[in-house]
Amino acid sequence: MPHASMMRSAMHRHPVTIIAILGLCLLATGCGQTPPAYFRPNMVEATKQRLTPDQEKQVATVLLAMFGTPDEPVCMPETGLDEAKLRLAAGPVRSDIVGRKNGLYREHCAHCHGVTGDALGPTAAFLNPYPRDYRPGVFKFKSTERADKPTHTDLVRLLHNGVPGTSMPSFALLPSAQVEALAEYVKYLSIRGETELTLMRAFFELDDEAQGKLPETREFLVDETLTPIAEKWKAAADAQIQVPPMPADIDLVASIAKGKELFYGDKANCVKCHGVTGLGDGQANDYDDWNKAIVEIGKEISSGSAKARETSTSGMSPDELSEHRAQLAWIEKFGRVLDGDALEPRTIPPRNLRHGIYRGGRRPLDLYYRIHAGINGAPMPAAKGTVPPEEIWHIVNYIRSLPYELDGELGADKPMLAKDRF
Amino acid sequence: MNRLSGIFWSLLFLAVPVLGVATFAIAPAIDVWLPKDVSEHGPAIDGLFYFILALTGVVFIATEVLLFWFLWKYDAANGDRPATYIHGSHTLEVVWTIIPAATLLFLAIYQMNTWADVKMRRPAMAPSVEVVARQFEWRLRYPGRDGTLGTPDDLFLVNDLHVPVDEDFLVQLKSMDVLHSFFLPNLRIKQDAVPGMKIRVWFKATETGQFDIVCAELCGWGHYKMKGRVTVESREDFDQWLESQYARQNATQPEADPSTAVARTE
Repeated sequence: MPHASMMRSAMHRHPVTIIAILGLCLLATGCGQTPPAYFRPNMVEATKQRLTPDQEKQVATVLLAMFGTPDEPVCMPETGLDEAKLRLAAGPVRSDIVGRKNGLYREHCAHCHGVTGDALGPTAAFLNPYPRDYRPGVFKFKSTERADKPTHTDLVRLLHNGVPGTSMPSFALLPSAQVEALAEYVKYLSIRGETELTLMRAFFELDDEAQGKLPETREFLVDETLTPIAEKWKAAADAQIQVPPMPADIDLVASIAKGKELFYGDKANCVKCHGVTGLGDGQANDYDDWNKAIVEIGKEISSGSAKARETSTSGMSPDELSEHRAQLAWIEKFGRVLDGDALEPRTIPPRNLRHGIYRGGRRPLDLYYRIHAGINGAPMPAAKGTVPPEEIWHIVNYIRSLPYELDGELGADKPMLAKDRF
Repeated sequence: MNRLSGIFWSLLFLAVPVLGVATFAIAPAIDVWLPKDVSEHGPAIDGLFYFILALTGVVFIATEVLLFWFLWKYDAANGDRPATYIHGSHTLEVVWTIIPAATLLFLAIYQMNTWADVKMRRPAMAPSVEVVARQFEWRLRYPGRDGTLGTPDDLFLVNDLHVPVDEDFLVQLKSMDVLHSFFLPNLRIKQDAVPGMKIRVWFKATETGQFDIVCAELCGWGHYKMKGRVTVESREDFDQWLESQYARQNATQPEADPSTAVARTE
């Protein structure tokens, strides 16, 4: 093997040179450090509101002062959050001076929910359903009325159970102090996200005197913007849905039969979405709020760009021309923002009730909450007002029997012909 | 090659068996040895492990010492005696084939009973729990008060397996997506969860305590943290725990005290 022996003799004759070259290659790879984590601005909203770069910078500066950074959170007393818990959850993974683990959010949550809580973490695009974006302040599975925030217990319970049927895992084995810290940090990210949205939308309301700048007064930023958001979170604990007790001696068979009537009836009209077989095949083209926002922006962009292409620029005044060009630039910018800062929108299929997998929890109580208040952010409507509470319990009992309905009636081993299903 | 170089290389090769034996000797003292065993069949499995360790250990030390001795004694710096070339020794080859073959055959037969106990002699009982492995958690389904899996009174949990002590426990293992492996180090149980298969795993725990469930088959990005917990407790505690989980699962009212909303299990 002439090549091998050539190399060996070369190494014998010029060992220093060879080592020097290898050493140089090693150094050339560099000794970099990871840049510190930063909060990503809500570019979709900023572009939707047609903010100028100066306006975007003002929002970022204000948020920095009010909420800090992912490594150093600022906890204003108006938020009602516990600063010690935030410190436990924030920052990179490390041990603090008493040996407790810090950086819990970065370790457990950030890779899906993102450092900013915007559901744009590295793994988010691969998940179905997408992880929750906290910034609009909308949460699906809770014990409060539809438009209210979840209680602290709701968040802790969700972390404890996970969300079955999705990629959200159960954190039941984490010490409760860590779960509490994570729930607090989720609230922090949600309050921050909602504050950012409110500030960005406030530019539209400014009068000409403000010259496109938000007032940087305590009155505007804290009393008028932050406090109403934080108050909604604080009010959640007292806004739990009052659930009438299910009678202990309830005749389950009769209740299930009544529930079936209601399921197929016009009052609750469950079959419209969940399908006449409960398989979730009633309809398939609706979106949840997070995806709907992106779909509508997409429609606006495509109709706007179609119109812009059809508009002939001949005969336009200089003002009209610059406006036309600005519109084209905005459409192009929005396209780029959607590429980088938004996930591909997906429809939300109605739940297949035959699986026995309930995302928000499988207790009869959880199902009662879902039917009574609907699901905030999703097309599931609230039955409150149309269906009286005792009847909601009948529907709950029917739903709980659905995964087992085939056992006995049709026989689990006998396939059902498609034509016999309806 | 002078005498010093010969000494250096011989001693270097001697360091291998010395350090090898030393690491095994100190391992139990620094807690990097076998995990604590709390299962009934554990001693049999550990016994097989020690037997093979002893056997291979003796052969290892013998061959390595011999290697060192030949390096030391027949170093070229010691003398100019030329090497002798032989055409091989048929006797030697037969001896060093027959002895290992016989040893392996002995081991194969010696371990059969233990294997059968752990993997083949299933206790005649209904499954105590159905474990469905999923990326990246262990979904548990207890059969409930009626003792039958697949009925409306089943109890659903995640990652938190409870086992009554000193009782046969039968697990029905399935996978929801990809290959996982149900590994209970302290119970000497390891069984791949194969998608499409329903595999039975059984054991009897002999001591109470909390131990790990870990995934032992690479299943994706979350494999490293696919951890669960198995709690071995007395029958009374187990029944009490089951009842509290029933109450939780069938709740029709929120807890009066929100701080008791989720089980503090640490």
